[in-house]
Amino acid sequence: MKNKYKIYALVVLIAGGIFTSCSKWDVTPRDQISTESIAKTKDGIINVTNGVYALFKDQVMFNGFIDDNNQYLRQYFQMSDFASDDIVCGQVTTDPLYYSFTYTHSPDQDNSRFFWYVAYKMINGANTVIDIIENSGEIEPDQTVYQILGENYFLRAFTEFNLLRFYAFLPTVGNPESDPGIILRLDPAEPAKKARATVKESYDQVIADARKAASLMTMVRGKEYASKEAAWALLSRVYLYLDNNDMAIAYADSVINSGRFSLETADSYPSYFPNAITRNETIFLIAFTQQDNRGKFGSIASMIYSDGNSGWGEEYASESLRDVMDEHLEDVRWKYIDTLYNEDGSVHKKNGIEVYYITKFSFQDGDPNLSSPVMFRLAEMYLNRAEGYAKKGNEAKALDDVNEIRKNRGLEESLYTSVPAGQTILDVVLKERRIELAFEGHRTYDLIRNHRDIIRKYWGYHITGIQVPDIDPNNPPSGYPGLDIKWNDPITLYYIPSDEILANDLCVQNP
Amino acid sequence: MRKTLFLIGFALLLLPVFGQVTGTVFDENKSTLPGVNIFVKGTTNGTVSDLNGSFTIDVKKGVVLVFQYTGYQNKEITIESPTEKLDVYMVPDVVNMDEVVVMGYSDKTKTEVSSAVAVLNSNQLKDVTTDDLGSMLQGKVAGVQVVDATGEPGSSSQIRIRGVSTIKPGNQEPLYVVDGIIGGSFDPNDVKTVTVLKDAGATGMYGARANKGVIVITTKSGSYGKTTFNFNASVGVKIADQGNLTMMTGPEFYDWSKELYRDPETHEIDIIKFYKAYPKYLPDSNYNWVGNGFQPAITQQYNLSASGSSKKFNYYVSGVYVNEEGTFRNTDYQKLNFRLNTEYRFNKWASLRNNVNVYTNEGSYYDYMDMYYTYLALPWDNPYTPDGTLKYIDGNTPGKWWSRDKINPFHTIDNSEHRSKGVGIDYDLVLKLKFTKWLSFTSSNRLSYSTDFSHDYVSPIAAGPYHDKGYVREQQNNWRGAITTNLLHFDFEFGKNTLNGLAGIELDGGSYEYLWNEGKGLPEGFDVPSVASSELKIGGTSTIEYFNSFISQINYNYDKRYFLTASFRVDKTSNFPPDHNTAMFPSIAASWLVSNEHFFKNVSFMNLLKLRLSYGVTGDPDIGASRFMGLFSLTSQYNSNPAAIPFQLANYDLTWEHTNEFNVGLDMSFVKRVSLTFNFYNNITKDLIVLVAQPLSQGFESRWENAGEVTNTGIELNLDAIIIKSKSVEWNFGVNFSQNTNILSGIENPFYSTVSGVSQIYRNDASIYTFILPKWLGVDVQTGAPLWEKVNDDGTKEPTSNYKDATPQEVGNALPDFLGGASTSLSWKGLSLYVSVAYQYGNDIYNYTRRFMDNDGHEPYVNAMVFKPGWSRWEKPGDVATHPSMQNADLSTENSSRYLEDGSFLKIRNVTLSYSLPRRWVSAMKMTDFVLSLRADNVYTWTGFWGQDPEVTLAKGDWSMPGVTDFKYPINRQFVFNINIKF
Repeated sequence: MKNKYKIYALVVLIAGGIFTSCSKWDVTPRDQISTESIAKTKDGIINVTNGVYALFKDQVMFNGFIDDNNQYLRQYFQMSDFASDDIVCGQVTTDPLYYSFTYTHSPDQDNSRFFWYVAYKMINGANTVIDIIENSGEIEPDQTVYQILGENYFLRAFTEFNLLRFYAFLPTVGNPESDPGIILRLDPAEPAKKARATVKESYDQVIADARKAASLMTMVRGKEYASKEAAWALLSRVYLYLDNNDMAIAYADSVINSGRFSLETADSYPSYFPNAITRNETIFLIAFTQQDNRGKFGSIASMIYSDGNSGWGEEYASESLRDVMDEHLEDVRWKYIDTLYNEDGSVHKKNGIEVYYITKFSFQDGDPNLSSPVMFRLAEMYLNRAEGYAKKGNEAKALDDVNEIRKNRGLEESLYTSVPAGQTILDVVLKERRIELAFEGHRTYDLIRNHRDIIRKYWGYHITGIQVPDIDPNNPPSGYPGLDIKWNDPITLYYIPSDEILANDLCVQNP
Repeated sequence: MRKTLFLIGFALLLLPVFGQVTGTVFDENKSTLPGVNIFVKGTTNGTVSDLNGSFTIDVKKGVVLVFQYTGYQNKEITIESPTEKLDVYMVPDVVNMDEVVVMGYSDKTKTEVSSAVAVLNSNQLKDVTTDDLGSMLQGKVAGVQVVDATGEPGSSSQIRIRGVSTIKPGNQEPLYVVDGIIGGSFDPNDVKTVTVLKDAGATGMYGARANKGVIVITTKSGSYGKTTFNFNASVGVKIADQGNLTMMTGPEFYDWSKELYRDPETHEIDIIKFYKAYPKYLPDSNYNWVGNGFQPAITQQYNLSASGSSKKFNYYVSGVYVNEEGTFRNTDYQKLNFRLNTEYRFNKWASLRNNVNVYTNEGSYYDYMDMYYTYLALPWDNPYTPDGTLKYIDGNTPGKWWSRDKINPFHTIDNSEHRSKGVGIDYDLVLKLKFTKWLSFTSSNRLSYSTDFSHDYVSPIAAGPYHDKGYVREQQNNWRGAITTNLLHFDFEFGKNTLNGLAGIELDGGSYEYLWNEGKGLPEGFDVPSVASSELKIGGTSTIEYFNSFISQINYNYDKRYFLTASFRVDKTSNFPPDHNTAMFPSIAASWLVSNEHFFKNVSFMNLLKLRLSYGVTGDPDIGASRFMGLFSLTSQYNSNPAAIPFQLANYDLTWEHTNEFNVGLDMSFVKRVSLTFNFYNNITKDLIVLVAQPLSQGFESRWENAGEVTNTGIELNLDAIIIKSKSVEWNFGVNFSQNTNILSGIENPFYSTVSGVSQIYRNDASIYTFILPKWLGVDVQTGAPLWEKVNDDGTKEPTSNYKDATPQEVGNALPDFLGGASTSLSWKGLSLYVSVAYQYGNDIYNYTRRFMDNDGHEPYVNAMVFKPGWSRWEKPGDVATHPSMQNADLSTENSSRYLEDGSFLKIRNVTLSYSLPRRWVSAMKMTDFVLSLRADNVYTWTGFWGQDPEVTLAKGDWSMPGVTDFKYPINRQFVFNINIKF
């Protein structure tokens, strides 16, 4: 019987022992950091800043899952250039990128919802860093801290500006004093619901943020990060959109005169885009490493280029753009248009559309789907300045800048000495800008802000409902709706995503 | 000393205190009954009746012998004289009130149970041949919805008990309890009983984790007496059940394509233009992609088990081997499962149970895109070259490949691998100590470990994004858990009062690790990550969860007429913030066994009447760790440096979902032939853990909050009847019905869940899983354009052909109005026929696949489905048609109620014909039982749903939405031959 009690005692002891030993209630995640912990170290704010950069390229979970299609920069380029006259649609698709070709937008389209969401996630990241540095008192300020602060102001300004292009009338199109702009998020702790600022207020904020960014940044961290010059380049671009030519010229001057950058030459230009990280023309780009190769389902290149397997290759350089470039077949900028030929030497057609692949987003490290997309480069500064001069009536200076580009693109023999008959100086500048900056997200807004219609009188599946036999290679399409888009047509705006409207009743929808 | 012994021996001779009882057991027809368990009450001393129904057992005077046989009432006989010869007549019973109901922490007899539970024994489970227990439950238990959403080998079904009470994503399955301990693994062959706990009276004991219901599994244990063996073998063939879905043949699709060329002016087909694009020889190519992608497959299952006991020891040992081929090209599944259950009794007051279950499995699963392409590839393309090898096709392949995507799915399948392997072990150690007559202690402990590994490989030979490079990805999941439950049990009887109960603690902890790696640049023929030469990536994470609980229960009954059960549980979990991590879960249940009242003694037509009532609280903490914290995710990088991305908004008030469950029930039995069970319940789940949508402009989509409540109200009806029972013929019939209404309330703003553009609304006063889509009105008779409904601000409605103007409206719901099943068995001598059906009514299915297969020329190069009778395409003004003109079909395939269909069905789930060899033949072979049977599963389905089988997922996940079907792996129609031998 004694044994029995010993066993009882042992059991009770063991049970009690387990009870007291096993209670850990503050389980913290192994791959996430709490907002409170970030504010405690300089490392924390640097990591969050890197996070804002990373969001340009990351496939972020949205609606509960990660969709390979969804990546900020992919939508940035598709939503701007697929709506332009530079790229033709070769395939009807259920991917919402199709709506940019057809201008049949809806508040529910995935690409636009994702773009809006991630843009504000970047702003949230930037605001978190700004708030920690300016208000928490935890971080001892030094040159690096100011640089980081400046980069976050830059990232906020750039993101706000990119939102404004898609979701609000451009300042030169509508009435900036009354048109709704974007929701300005400046403080991570503000209430969830907030109304849209006006277009004017929104652009004022972009300018203020970019200026503050320029004043804070003093370090040169590499093209993968923002810099004083990147902020100036942004200011030059924004002032052009505001039709403030003096300021656009002034900031372009600042960048050009900084001495940090030089134009690629006709020899180096064909290898520029795959190697933009190391090249002097680059002001700022988003770095993609091998880790960021998004492959067929998610790369920027996969829709516009394929080596047969690497991508979908469904959208091509348009006939309209090629016609403009046909004047100069020696132009090295043709190198980024790759024609697919049949065995008999004719141009291969997909669904009746000639295949002219676009390669500005391919071949970093030789990979057809990898590139580090350039956000700002020196050529744009020359063209911004040229446009400013053109609008101020200074033809000579405008032509100088245009010629500076042409000299470096294999057109030394074809420099302008005067404005060709039948064209204005602005025509000349915009034509050069179109060829130089093709597929880089500018064309649609360059047209609209200058009150020029988007004219797409070429065959492609932006014309809804056509079948292959409808395509007549000898005659351009006519009579179909949607070939021309008026510069002030509200259909050029993307809708504010339905998610925002539903959860934020202060936010008004676009017309 | 010797003297004493002698004296005792002498006394024994005079008074037969010790002795041997022999006898024969008969059934109600006076036939001898072999295999009856016979044991001395309160001991493990027992035996089994032999082939002739006779038995011999050593006993002493005054003991009580218990006779136990499934389907019969227990019989107890007090032995007056150990030498007597007994003839025992067993009485069949449709409701065996002494049957023990295993309820997890405690066992009760059916008499004592005051709550809504359903028990199924192994005979009721093993009709359908599957490796998945869930499938076996389909249509058998009222209030339980089982969805076989996929026919992939090795897959499991989805189970919802009493509707859906939670709206958060993630686990929505009930809690499993194996052999009394939460969690665990088992093979269906080893299952003795399944108890489904449905109301709080029963589930309250599981407190925080119980509001999705509890399924208690008991595995087999050692039988009394000498070792018996059981061998079971099933071999069969299965065929993909494509439901009403038929893809077009070459000529059919050729005709379909002609519609693309109907001239919008003349409304005639411009045949010249058509022939220009579609050569006349095309319809001669007619490859059946679906018919070749899916092939009849062999399924096999073998089980050998042995069980037995001695005075101190009993054991059950079993091995199972499953080998299933999949109907879809290159899919299969194999499993080995071993179980050893032993119990050792040290003495009268201490015993130790050791249960071990070990399994390993291996299989090939399918890739969604391969299936997608198999359905959508055009019959004009042939995957084989004339010499019989698979064609390589890519975007630059010369020659015509008509299908939209330039890929040969069979080539991809044959040049890729998607394999998984798993190993799992559960070890249970249960110590039972009986301190006194009324006080005992149990310590139940389990260690669990499981790991699974998957290997995805695409050869450099395959076309597609990995061409020339190859791709390998391997993933490893490890789960390790430990749980200990320590309970003190007490049990008193005084006069007509019985009082028993338990109290104790439970500690539970688990950790989970996940690792993956991938790479490209593989040398041809090699497929492990270490040979990858480029784009090497790794990832992984780990989490930990803890639970501490206090458990208690009291049961009281007076004179087996009035019953009361009360339980109280306190749970603490690491998943919630420190101020909100503890919660209390009380429950109470009472019942009145009217038929045991004196005044009922004279009621002859009704032998059972019991009223039940229960109320209690259960909970759900299933959201994973750290969902309350403000977090930045560190899983990203920029320029090869660590990057932190805003991930989660903080909510330090987050706490448990809890359900207030009310149940009232009635059990009745008439003339010992017909039994009826009825339940009404009302379950209100409060503080729902939901992701409340945030303005996207905050940088977050949503935030975890407690908001709103879901009310599930329903009735359940279960009827079993013995229609004929004679010496040679027996005919049984059973039917069950359950109805559930689901209502959401108390949320501030309606919110939506959207997958692939299909939305469901969550709003007050509506059921969850309500589809909200533009309402399809058909086709404009004059223009042939699609018509949707536009609801104006003033509430007036008008048709519109502009999709953008169409108003999203509530157009259907994924949850059924009612469901259930029925079964009947008819036996004549050794021959028996069993048929079971399952039905479901009133749910809607969004047939997402029709966006591709049933398009209006938007996708001219994907194969189309054959029209449902009654469908027609608009050709000219005046046509009343279901499908718009291909020339005027802008956005007609966009998500709308066009593709929302009635998902009601009635399905013959199983037909089994079996033959039990006559006893004398069996005896001659030295066996106790020999049964041959032929089974057919999923024999036929009646449904109006025009797609694959109408069983559609109820899971809410990354790519799945309840009620949306999207190229699923078809379920199987299978024909199986089965042999079962006992010896």
